[in-house]
Amino acid sequence: MMTSKNPVSNIAPETVLDFLHHTLPFNELDDQALRELARHCIIDFIPKGVVIFRQGETQIEHLYLIQKGGVKLYLEDDHGQITLSDFRGESEYFGALPIMQNTRANLNVATVEDTFCFLFPKTAFLKLLESSPKISHYFLRSLSEKLVNTAYAELRRHRISPRSESALYLFSTQVGTAIKGQLQTIAAEASVRQAAAKMSEKMVGSLLVTNPTGKIIGIVTDKDLRTKVVAAGLDYQTQITTIMASPVQTIPAHAVCFDAMLRMVRQRIHHLAVEKQGEIVGMVTSRDIMLLQGTSPFYLFREIVAERTLKGLHSLAHKVQRVVRSLIEEGAKADNITKMITVLNDRILERLLTLLIEELGPPPLPFCWLMLGSEGRSEQIFKADQDNALIYAEAEDQAKMTSAAKYFENLSVKAVDNLVQCGYPLCRGEIMASNPKWRKSTFEWQKTFDAWISKPKPQDGPRSTIFFDFRPGYGDFSLADQLRQHLIKSIPNHGLFLYLLAKNALEAQPPLSFFRNFIVEKNGEHRNSLNIKANGLLPIVDFARLFALKNGIRQSNTLSRLQVLHERGQIKTELYDETVKAYEFLMQLRLVHQLHQTEEGRQPDNYINPSNISDLEKQTLKESFAVVSRLQHQIKLEFRLSEH
Amino acid sequence: MLRKLLGHLGLAPPAHPTFAENWRYFKELSLNKPLADYEFIVFDTELTGLERHDEIVSIGAVRIRNLQIMVGDTFYVKVKPQKKLPKKTTLIHRITPQEIENAPPLSTVLPKFIAYCGKSLLVGHYIGLDIAYLNQAYRHHYGAPVSNFCLDTMRMAQTYTEMQWQLHLDHLQTEASASYSLAALNTRYKLPEFTHHNAYEDALQTAYLFIFLVKKMKPKGVISLRDFLKIGQTWRIFF
Repeated sequence: MMTSKNPVSNIAPETVLDFLHHTLPFNELDDQALRELARHCIIDFIPKGVVIFRQGETQIEHLYLIQKGGVKLYLEDDHGQITLSDFRGESEYFGALPIMQNTRANLNVATVEDTFCFLFPKTAFLKLLESSPKISHYFLRSLSEKLVNTAYAELRRHRISPRSESALYLFSTQVGTAIKGQLQTIAAEASVRQAAAKMSEKMVGSLLVTNPTGKIIGIVTDKDLRTKVVAAGLDYQTQITTIMASPVQTIPAHAVCFDAMLRMVRQRIHHLAVEKQGEIVGMVTSRDIMLLQGTSPFYLFREIVAERTLKGLHSLAHKVQRVVRSLIEEGAKADNITKMITVLNDRILERLLTLLIEELGPPPLPFCWLMLGSEGRSEQIFKADQDNALIYAEAEDQAKMTSAAKYFENLSVKAVDNLVQCGYPLCRGEIMASNPKWRKSTFEWQKTFDAWISKPKPQDGPRSTIFFDFRPGYGDFSLADQLRQHLIKSIPNHGLFLYLLAKNALEAQPPLSFFRNFIVEKNGEHRNSLNIKANGLLPIVDFARLFALKNGIRQSNTLSRLQVLHERGQIKTELYDETVKAYEFLMQLRLVHQLHQTEEGRQPDNYINPSNISDLEKQTLKESFAVVSRLQHQIKLEFRLSEH
Repeated sequence: MLRKLLGHLGLAPPAHPTFAENWRYFKELSLNKPLADYEFIVFDTELTGLERHDEIVSIGAVRIRNLQIMVGDTFYVKVKPQKKLPKKTTLIHRITPQEIENAPPLSTVLPKFIAYCGKSLLVGHYIGLDIAYLNQAYRHHYGAPVSNFCLDTMRMAQTYTEMQWQLHLDHLQTEASASYSLAALNTRYKLPEFTHHNAYEDALQTAYLFIFLVKKMKPKGVISLRDFLKIGQTWRIFF
């Protein structure tokens, strides 16, 4: 029996294994790799208040994974000034960056609680990075965040205050597109002095060395000049080939920038030659890649705000979508992503209307651009049809009203047209500010809403609901607020309107059978699929809208509406918690589904085939639909609507 | 004859060469170095019961070097007892009769355990009990008890608690009657939680407790091996 022969190597350190099984990114490893890693593990206890790493001093020998307790990471400058950088707690690690960069501790690390850590020796960790791409991606991603932060620290002196940033575009941008400028070469027989002259003339940090036949045989960088020539006291007439690095490290043009960074970090180099069909077409440097990361949401935000032309705005608007993927990669939830997209879209609208007003001259009367439907609820991720309207203030003077109407027509038509160019398609139902029906004065708008509320017709149900989700987008927000105030006052007194809204909210049933099986589409294009928007998300949106309007709640976002309802005790905590979970899950599922579709160049839809999702997702989806049933039951009770 | 008896009690060098070497080593070992300079084996045994005739059914152990637990350098064996396994203990230790049916007898396990321990100090929770059964077996097979120094984490925990009293004069908070079981201490000191229950996991949990106590007692002036032997070595003599 094995155990009796060699007991030592056969013990599974279950405690460690269990922990790793539940810890990112180690849970990605297969069982054997985990066991191998666990075998090298050392458990250490560090009492509260002990400094484990000293910045610039400690040679890091282990990756530390916190089993229990916590540490703080902080920087100390030359004057002894301490800047707190981060806290790390259970299941989080420290020490990875200095190991990968082969440097001493980059920060001070001290325990803030009694702490137990799993220590993995440097060699075991490096071996793991080599053998497991998933692990190295994970660590390098967090590493790249830190690199960016370092880059920002340098920028701080010039203009901006740094923010925590992440490696957003690294995964979607190909190396080929990151090339800046022409490829610069120098002949092999040239001297060091000539190389230095050419570098400063062309303002580049590296030159490729070519032999007489034009073949690239090596690379020389400004660092080589510093370390191998100047610092070493070498004669400037030395032939360039003696200091060049050979062969040149290359990367295919179609590789993503993340891979380029991975190579640079691993090989501790700053330049890579970009290869396309066997030919070197340019160079990328670590600096180029860091600059590229500048197009993260924060940067995009700044660019939008600073954009001076409509044309520039159109192209920036198309970048918004690219943020989604990166955010998902970073582990953001649908709710966070919609918030980010909403902020960016709002900025684009603001900028767009500002530029148009600069062009058309100041508006004759105060106005407000209204966003309706999913945009009004701040729930849009992928660009959907435009739903917007315009409201403007009243004037005594009839002539002024007429000229204002003309001005706003002009503004709206141009705005809608520009939004199309930004990638937001026209609304098929013509619910847009460019349509004179949806461009009115405050009084006209009140009249329109009053008509919907006091003389509701069953047929204007679904169409009018999107108006009730309006949100001010640009201009004088008080006009929108007054309108909302008007609704808050009048709606609760109109039982029939609410009754019809309630009936309307029950129209789409969750696709679950009596036995809690999915009911899928039987035929057509979406055979065997479920529409998670119509039968899952929208009933929740309808529920939140119905109860928000009934209770005079001004919010338009579904989660905010639910939150206020819960705070006011109008929905029980348990139902609230489950509804939020169901809603977030459905949003997430839809988001991932639509992302796949857009990346495959297809038009995003809402149809999920249950056989394409995992068992856990299926289970959660069923539970989410069950929550929808409970919400609809609640509506039936509240409005005395019998089963139909 | 007297010599044999003294050897049996550990008072004279035993006849067995390995045991004799260990005996001499510990007789001359310097006690004044800080604890981090010594190597420890934290171990736990599981028994068929608590009577004198009861037997060891498993041994679990982990090595501590530089006051860190070496997860990859551990020891765990199940042992086939000479008598049948009673039902009662099976429930506690989750060792079924089938599991130990193919396990080696103690006579083949002991040399491996002795080699694994080498010249390390031994640590256990309520170690007197484990040592009593181990010595019984050692005497039977080698004619001598273990010479390695032993530290008892339960005694250490009690001393640590007393130190807290002296510090805070807070007798009420830490009741004198408080439990010193491994599980209770684990909760009291907020150590990582353990769910498993076998000799190896118990040894590992004891190791956590050990390094916790050693490092927590250091600022209170308990530093050298001599200091720790003063508090940790006294254990109840069983038989």
